Formats: sequence, structure tokens, C-alpha cells
Amino acid sequence: METITLKGRCIVPGHCKGRALTSTKPISFLGGVDSSTGRIVERDHDLKGKAVKGRVLCFPHGHGSTVGSYVLYSLARNGLAPKGIINQTADPVVVVGAIIAKIPMVDQVDIGRIETGDLLEVDGEKGIVKIVRK
Amino acid sequence: MYLTRQEEKMFDGEFGWAHQVSMEILARLGDLFGAIKLIPIKSAHVSGVSYKNIGDAPIDFLEALFKAGGKARVSATVNPSGFDPDYLTGRLPARYRLQQSRILDAYKRMGIKPDLTCTPYYLREPRVGWHLAWSESSASMYANSVIGAWSNREGGPSALAAALVGKTPDYGVHRAENRQPRALVKLDTVLQSDVEFGALGIHLGKALKDKIPVIDGIPSPTNENLKQLGAGLASSGMLSMFHLQWEVPPKEELETISIGGKDVREAVGCLSTASERANLIFIGCPHCSLAEIESVARLVEGKRVTKETELWVCTSRHVKEKAKRYVDVIEGAGGHVLCDTCAIVTWIKSLGVDIMMTNSAKAAYYAPTLNGVNVTLAPLNKCIEVACNQ
Repeated sequence: METITLKGRCIVPGHCKGRALTSTKPISFLGGVDSSTGRIVERDHDLKGKAVKGRVLCFPHGHGSTVGSYVLYSLARNGLAPKGIINQTADPVVVVGAIIAKIPMVDQVDIGRIETGDLLEVDGEKGIVKIVRK
Repeated sequence: MYLTRQEEKMFDGEFGWAHQVSMEILARLGDLFGAIKLIPIKSAHVSGVSYKNIGDAPIDFLEALFKAGGKARVSATVNPSGFDPDYLTGRLPARYRLQQSRILDAYKRMGIKPDLTCTPYYLREPRVGWHLAWSESSASMYANSVIGAWSNREGGPSALAAALVGKTPDYGVHRAENRQPRALVKLDTVLQSDVEFGALGIHLGKALKDKIPVIDGIPSPTNENLKQLGAGLASSGMLSMFHLQWEVPPKEELETISIGGKDVREAVGCLSTASERANLIFIGCPHCSLAEIESVARLVEGKRVTKETELWVCTSRHVKEKAKRYVDVIEGAGGHVLCDTCAIVTWIKSLGVDIMMTNSAKAAYYAPTLNGVNVTLAPLNKCIEVACNQ
């Protein structure tokens, strides 16, 4: 078993463990993620059709409307939210979304080192992400 | 970030969940942007209101906030909704109406005034130097650049959090050092109309990104000219303010952008996507001032809006009441003075519009993507000529 430790910055505290869902593209939560199905619906997105539920969602940063934060809250209420969020650069839309949805969040992590399906352990307090590979 | 004892109590939940989560939003955003403290604000202006723009997702959060006792601690206003209750209600699905009412109710119950306008400065003009937390990019731009108040360009959620806490993190243009110009725009043409002011704003916003400009060469603008310029700048760029004068010589040499008449004409031209006849003429992005409604009234007086075209003049309820005699002229000619909404934040496509004509560069910039309609950008007198088929 191999563990890779990536050191980032604490954005929202909390711990979680889950499988990574990784994209190289920014995500717009308003209009890009359907809060009733938990699936990514943004046109031409490499994660289009994928469900975010229970995953550690890794993407560079958010974009689009600031009201996108509320979509993360709705996902959480509907039991469809990601378990954790890892960004390259945190932006206010995703940060506020993670706060109100109580999702542990870390940024300043090289997300290029994380592959979809990797088992991740996220420590939001310390800003640490561990990749556990068998 | 440093929190006072009172702020810490709020962060820890002693004042309930609504204020806890609001304080957490402000504190974490403050950390993200390098603020060291919170500062009191005089007012907040909150975007994220029109059901057409925000859909169902925010309703859960807004209702949870008021159920948890969330109350605004400072004067707060909200952006336009998807409806004018007197004009559009019967023409749109009942479900839209219901969901829009839930959003408005949630804000009202939090003590936020249902003024539903993007021009809160016409209701109560802030004073020079007041700190504000205003979302709606054209409003924070106007507050900073025309009025001389101080506001970052907030997002909807951060402005709402600031309304509930009565404070905002001290970063960005709340700090004097960040209000200095970083670019010089030299204009060697005289701007002719609101259309040219707005289109120049769109053009410059793309070039400047987040660099605050001082714009040289606008001798005696009206506040309405500057409203259009700022709305354009904020739409295509990440700017929160501009200057027309800057007396203290800046330490560094400023990046210079020269603008001639040809640049302005091109900026206007590239915002039009249609040449066919419009079936909606839209005036009032951002919402009209009293003077703008008067201009429309003078142009339509004695004329008749054609059956094939709707003429919408959008404003706040407050300004509409003050403009009663002009409203009578416009409505007498077959036009409509709408309040609480505008053509961008309602469902114009469902209302049968496919081509819109407007004198607002901001509206022309957004309508093709946000509303799925084609647009023609033209000065007010031209818009009214087309509305009246002359």
C-alpha cells in the first residue's frame, strides 16, 4: 500500500474519506450541477453526467454565478453532496457553498496528482489530503 | 482574522445558526482575501432574487435562514425579481409565480426590504465614505465611482451574510491603497450617447480585467452616462470602480490604453446580433432614473407604440411613483412601465420575444446567453422610433 500526502491550505474544517472524482475544468454550480439529481450537467464538461454524491470532488476552481453556493447547500439537504472538495485555488462561490453545506474543503493542492477513483483522506483542519493506493 | 469577543460568540453559535453561518462566511472569506478584521457597514444590497436566474436551489437555504431567526442588522435591499405583479403575472406559469413568492417571502421575513431594484442608490443615496456590502456589480460600481461610497463587488451570499451580521471583512476597495488607479484610459473622442458610454464600458472591462482605471476625456457626463459606463465595465471585467480624476500622482507608471472614435463605434457594433425588427424594446438596464423616464416620455409623447412591438421601461417602484406624470404619457402611448423586474431577469423568451432592441450595452451583452434572444443595441431615440414604427 502506498500513501501520498499532499499539503494544502485549510478552507473549511472537517474530515472525510472517499473516492476522488477529478476534473481539469472549473465547475459552475449554478446551471452546471442539478441539485435534484446530484449530476453534473454543464455543457462540454468532462464530468458531464457524473454524480458527485459521496465523492471527494477535485477541480481547479469554481466559476459562474455567486448564487452557485446555494446549490451545494441543496445537494447536501437532498443527500447528494460530495463528501469533500479539493481545489487548486479556492474562490468565494465554492468556499461559501462548502461552509453552508458543511463540506470539508482544502485548496492549494496540485490536483493533477489525484486520479478519479483514488481513495482520499481529507483533513480540512490541517489542510492535508492523503492518497491511499493499493 | 481577528474577531472581537462579540463576533466570536456569533461565530460559535450563541446567536443561533443563521448568524453563526453568516459570521462563518464572512470570517472565512476574510481569511481568504487577507482581511485582518470586520468593519461595520451602513447597508447591504443582495442579489440572487429572480427565480428565472437562481431556480429552486437557493430556496432551501433562504427558508432555513429565516426559520432559524435570521434578521438583517442593517438596512438591506434586494435585486429585481422575475415578475412585475401588475403586468406579467397572467402571462407566465403559476409555478414560477409560487416559487418566486417563496424567495421574496424568505427575504422579507429576514427584514430585507422588498424594493426589488438594481439601483438601490435611487431609494437612499449612500454618503461619501460609507462602507457598504453591495452585490449587483453595476450598483457597487456606481456606489464607488459616482457616489464615493466604499463597497467590494459582493456575491449574493456574502452580501446576505453581511446584512445579517451588519459587517464585512476589511479588504479590497474598503482599503484606500486598493482604490488607486492602475491604468490610464485616454479618450480622444466625445462620447455621444448612453449606448457609447455602455459599449465603451464593455470594451474596457475586457481589456482592464481587475485594474482600476482613471478615464481621461469625459468632460461633463451625466450620472446616467456614468451608470451605463460602470454597468458595462462591471459586466465584462472584474472591476469594482473607476475614476474620472486622480489628483495624487501615482507612484508607478500606469498602463495606458488609448481609445478613439473608431474603437467606440466598433464596441457598439459588436454588441448587436440582429438586424431584423425587434418585438421587444427594452429601456431600463440598470433600472431607469427619474430623468431617464422623462426622456422616454418626451420621445413617445403624441406617438403610438405599434401592435407588433412591446415597449418596456423598467424601474423601481420608488422611482415609478415619483414619475407618475411621465408614466401616464408612456402608458398612454401604449408602452409599459414595469417595476420589480427587467427583461434580463424575466422569461422574455416564454413571453414570445425573439429579438430585443435596447439602449443598454449591459443588456445587449447578456441577453443572447442569459435569455436566448438576439439583440440590437441603439440609442434611446432610435429605440423609440422603432417602437412607434417611424
